Amino acid sequence: MRFAVDTGGTFTDLIVEEDDGKLRMFKAATTPDDPIRGLMNTLENAAHEYKTDLGELLSKGELFIHGTTHAINAIVTGNTAKTAFLSTEGHRDILVFREGGRMEPFNFTVPFPEPYLPRALTFEVPGRILADGSEMTPLNEEKIIQIIDLLKEEQVESVAVCLLWSIVNSDHELRVGELLQKHLPGIPFTLSHALNPSLREYRRASSAAIDASLKPLMSEYMNNLSGRLRDAGFIGRVLIVTSQAGVMDAEDIADSPIHLINSGPSMAPVSGRYFAKVDEEYDSAVVTDTGGTTYDVSLVRKGGIPWTRETWIGEPYRGHMTGFPSVEVKSIGAGGGSIAWVDEGGMLHVGPQSAGAVPGPACYRQGGEKATVTDASLVLGHIDPVFFLGGEMELDLNSSEKVILEDVAKPMGLALEEASAAIISVATENMVQAIVDITVNQGIDPRETVLIGGGGAAGLNAVAIARRLGCYRAIIPEVGAALSAAGAMMSELAYQFRRTHFTTSKDFDYQGVNHLLENLRDSCNEFIENTGKGAIESKVEYFAEARYPEQVWEIEVPISSHIFESDNDINSLVNEFHKTHEDLFAINDPESGIEIVGWTASVKCRLRDTEGGSLVTVNTQDTIEKEREAYFVNQGFLPSKVKRFESLQIGEAVVGPAIIESPFTTVVIDPGAKAYRKVSGSLSIDPGVSYE
Amino acid sequence: MTSHVNTAGVQLALISNRIEGIVRKMSNTLLRTGRSGVLAMARDFSCCVVTAQDELLAAAESLPIHVLSGPDLMSKSMKKLHPCFKKGDAFLHNSPYHGCSHPADHTILVPIMDGEGNHRFTVQSKAHQADIGNSIPTTYFGNARDVYQEGAIIFPSVKVQNNYQNIDDIIRICQLRIRVPSQWWGDYLAMIGAARIGERELTKLGEEIGWDTLDEFISDWFDYSEKRMTNAIKSIPSGDAEHTSVHDAFPGTPTEGIPIHTKVKVDGKAGKINVDLRDNPDCLPCGLNLSEACSKTSAMLGVFNSIDHTVPKNAGSFRRLKVHLRNNCVVGIPSHPTSCSVATTNVADRVANGVQSAMAQLSNKVGMAECGAINPPAASVISGNDPRTGKDYVNQVFLGKTCGAASSSADAWQTISHVGNGGMCFMDSVELDELRHPIYVHSRGFVEDTEGAGYYCGSRAAFAIFGPQNCSMDIVYNSDGNINAPKGVRGGTSGASAYQHKIDKNGKNVSVPNCGRITLDNGELIVSYSCGGGGYGSPIERDPNSVAKDVSEGFITVTRAKNIYGVLLDSVGGVSVEETKKLRLSLREEVSKFQ
Repeated sequence: MRFAVDTGGTFTDLIVEEDDGKLRMFKAATTPDDPIRGLMNTLENAAHEYKTDLGELLSKGELFIHGTTHAINAIVTGNTAKTAFLSTEGHRDILVFREGGRMEPFNFTVPFPEPYLPRALTFEVPGRILADGSEMTPLNEEKIIQIIDLLKEEQVESVAVCLLWSIVNSDHELRVGELLQKHLPGIPFTLSHALNPSLREYRRASSAAIDASLKPLMSEYMNNLSGRLRDAGFIGRVLIVTSQAGVMDAEDIADSPIHLINSGPSMAPVSGRYFAKVDEEYDSAVVTDTGGTTYDVSLVRKGGIPWTRETWIGEPYRGHMTGFPSVEVKSIGAGGGSIAWVDEGGMLHVGPQSAGAVPGPACYRQGGEKATVTDASLVLGHIDPVFFLGGEMELDLNSSEKVILEDVAKPMGLALEEASAAIISVATENMVQAIVDITVNQGIDPRETVLIGGGGAAGLNAVAIARRLGCYRAIIPEVGAALSAAGAMMSELAYQFRRTHFTTSKDFDYQGVNHLLENLRDSCNEFIENTGKGAIESKVEYFAEARYPEQVWEIEVPISSHIFESDNDINSLVNEFHKTHEDLFAINDPESGIEIVGWTASVKCRLRDTEGGSLVTVNTQDTIEKEREAYFVNQGFLPSKVKRFESLQIGEAVVGPAIIESPFTTVVIDPGAKAYRKVSGSLSIDPGVSYE
Repeated sequence: MTSHVNTAGVQLALISNRIEGIVRKMSNTLLRTGRSGVLAMARDFSCCVVTAQDELLAAAESLPIHVLSGPDLMSKSMKKLHPCFKKGDAFLHNSPYHGCSHPADHTILVPIMDGEGNHRFTVQSKAHQADIGNSIPTTYFGNARDVYQEGAIIFPSVKVQNNYQNIDDIIRICQLRIRVPSQWWGDYLAMIGAARIGERELTKLGEEIGWDTLDEFISDWFDYSEKRMTNAIKSIPSGDAEHTSVHDAFPGTPTEGIPIHTKVKVDGKAGKINVDLRDNPDCLPCGLNLSEACSKTSAMLGVFNSIDHTVPKNAGSFRRLKVHLRNNCVVGIPSHPTSCSVATTNVADRVANGVQSAMAQLSNKVGMAECGAINPPAASVISGNDPRTGKDYVNQVFLGKTCGAASSSADAWQTISHVGNGGMCFMDSVELDELRHPIYVHSRGFVEDTEGAGYYCGSRAAFAIFGPQNCSMDIVYNSDGNINAPKGVRGGTSGASAYQHKIDKNGKNVSVPNCGRITLDNGELIVSYSCGGGGYGSPIERDPNSVAKDVSEGFITVTRAKNIYGVLLDSVGGVSVEETKKLRLSLREEVSKFQ
């Protein structure tokens, strides 16, 4: 038996996989003061369902896989360790300057952001390495010991070190590490070259700073988690989801907690990739996860999950860039709780303000007084007021009607239903634009993808989004409401090893590159032998980070041969680069050579022999044919069939207008669209075209 | 579901969102594929859509000085010079006498035609080039007597693609004249790529919803934007205000520099703002003259920086804004062969700063202080021969300038770069510069006690010290603000002025001019200090805790906290509340004595 738990902002999701591959899904409220309590609660819920006790249930588990927002929450709420920053002499302000750049050039209401670590806790280390790795100024150890004395005085809890060019010559950083260990025992530190060996000092410094600041907290969390699971009877392996869509052992992740920044959302595309393949044999997908306040978009491109090093905590340029590789997830403020409002010029907006879970939409009757997307869906008859979350919470239609009339219909001179439909249309377009942005950056044409709708509210406008983007199908997985937890269940042990080494296709450094690739290979093999012990299958892939001469940004290109022996090997790398450049940006420069800056080896070890699994069907008594009035744009209210998700037979088609609902989700099938139940349990919807 | 709602307010939201998506897509493509540092690092580029009637419809978030006006003028000149333009054409434009900002801003214009061959839109992608074939290796030639000495090849909307194919004659001219031609070629490809993406997406949109529907929408969108602008103008006090901002003396300018006088009239009743730039000197025999595009844009920028930032910037809101220019004026409409080499920065900044400072006189909820002037040596164009490869190089570096002004509602954005840039510029990574060029960056950072103090504070100055590595290196820069520091408004103080010197091989400081081309020998270093930015409101009213924080972070000294802000600190760096109150009372009395 395996457990996968994803702790999100509102809910903690659990998926249990039984030994025959059957899945069960459970949810409990997240408990921000002690997130492990919420996690244990879902397990208790599961034990209750299985009619056993927690110890008994856990004792059957071999794997416990966990995704958590604990690290990112700690940063957002300022609960990280008191951390010092050691930089090269003369370069004190790396974290203050950042990389420049700004959004909204006419907006002068937002002040410049504070540095991730205070300037008052920044210390300059004398000593300088140059771009070629040579030492210009030796390290001044006496001065470092003085700095360490100051750190003691300040009672810092962690230290981040980023020295210029440590990526080509790490001697100085390593020596600073030794001195810290000796003179400041027990205080954790992060060396930038060891954590994130990439060019550009701000990004490396930022990674190191974030990592160091999380160390005390996250090692405590990991100890606590493992301990409480053991105490409750779990004897298997505890794995943690990383930002790179892989998993690592809990004790390893405590040593480099920056891996946790996107733990959770990074798993949505793992799920998405599986369902795109198994349901429609597609290898590219747009994966969406609709929550109450945010809409996360990630991608699958030709079977791979694109990643980025430009992950921001907070808004771009106003937050902090992690500089650390992560699955690319674009997040916008759009969801069921997004508030609809009309500006003084008469234009309708939806979000980015959100009523959140508390007070929530007006129909929750918890004090929400603003018109939200959920209120609009209720007015349109898309959501059943007595079957929301399986009937756990009754919604108040009158409240929704009242706020939409006041906030939207009256100011715009629209009828109530028209106003509600307009709210959904604008929310849909906001989501579409988020998808367009991320697909442009990754060179993906949405028309060559399927849309995966995760999160309980995904089905409300999945057909509309798929139509607008021209996606082949919209797929609502049965486990869609816990897409990340399902992804965690399918994930692999994964790690990336990276080196910086500059060379060009014209003057290729065979010896240097081959030596480096051999080192990378050794690191991967060591990973496979230790961490990956007992895995069913292991895989190592190599990549070069390359660019055209004078280009500033690199792109990642797969390397087919991991030894460079002749011009042919280089030509194939160069050709691969031209091809990738064209895929991403629609242009290339076939006459030009390339420059290679960085080298990566990515190792993956598969732990399960099957990938997916379907939910255990819970028998519902509720299989009587029902019908209700649902509103569709330009067509008004139409009598629409209402079906239970769980009771649909495999292969059964549902033709719109129809509503398909379960305790976890509601799916709107517009007129012209057609939904099919798949073997995996998913609902696959042919969006069709709308009737004019 | 989305494209069938027929109500104006909904359609506005949907279609404006889509058009903004298109220019964003163009812009992302250009950013990611550009070759030169000035494009990729300084983000000195822009993408926009103009209607067939030459009205700016939408611009991607980009340098403000690039797009408010200019695209309209260039579109007009394309139509005038090529009355038979057709699908598949592309035009290269950099003529400041035909609507471009300045010659360094190569712009690609692509007309978009519907299925029946009617002109519907013109998309434009513009990117500042690292080199344009000037007589010296810089694209900012401050002391160029005229366009001949400047030496730029001027392309007044010259056809560069026919039926989607390059016209190789033009490409060859560029490749033989422009230094490091592969870099220009890379940027050219990137600009063409972005414009063609814009063409493809807009055509798709027009065909999907119908070209005429799109026209209706555009008309609604302009009306909506005009209404928002009118409301924004009505919400601020009406009145007349003037401001003079002086550009430092450079070669070719009068010895007292160039005083730029701006007059602003806000008329709430009529919902209009007028900016008058006519009372200013004639064009000068140097590269600092503004093009028509930059004269207009800099004035408009000062206005938009001062009012509700959510007002859309397009031809609709521009109806409420009138900029008065005259011919042959340094901030007006120049004629050939006047040089406009530096039109996007130095004097243009004096205009924008003048407008926003004038607006600040109207109310403490409006306007901004002056941003710092540029470009200090930290933003030089560097060139030479790289001993590691034997190849020549030329590029602009961005090693550190701050220059942000305080606004009526917040402290400065530190890295604003200059008012016309709006902070969009990235800063170079030291490692990336040292890898790309034979350069050594000794140090860089903020300078203590240099912010324009105020209720809201302007930027602190930045310094950078760098030099060539195992070779010599030419650097070209035009550092305004050595004499005329960025002024504060409404009692805010000025930010620090700029300054530069050289450190020779013996470690001795040697003075260097504020503008020009100098050679650094191996072992020499240039020391660059940027301006700070002006403060907004009185510093003795500033939140004392913010002052204490700046002291603990090492940005200001205890002495400055006391003398300028009237804040006294206790032994652990906290605010001494009672003492501070007393001190501020006496400081206020002193201030009122002088008023």
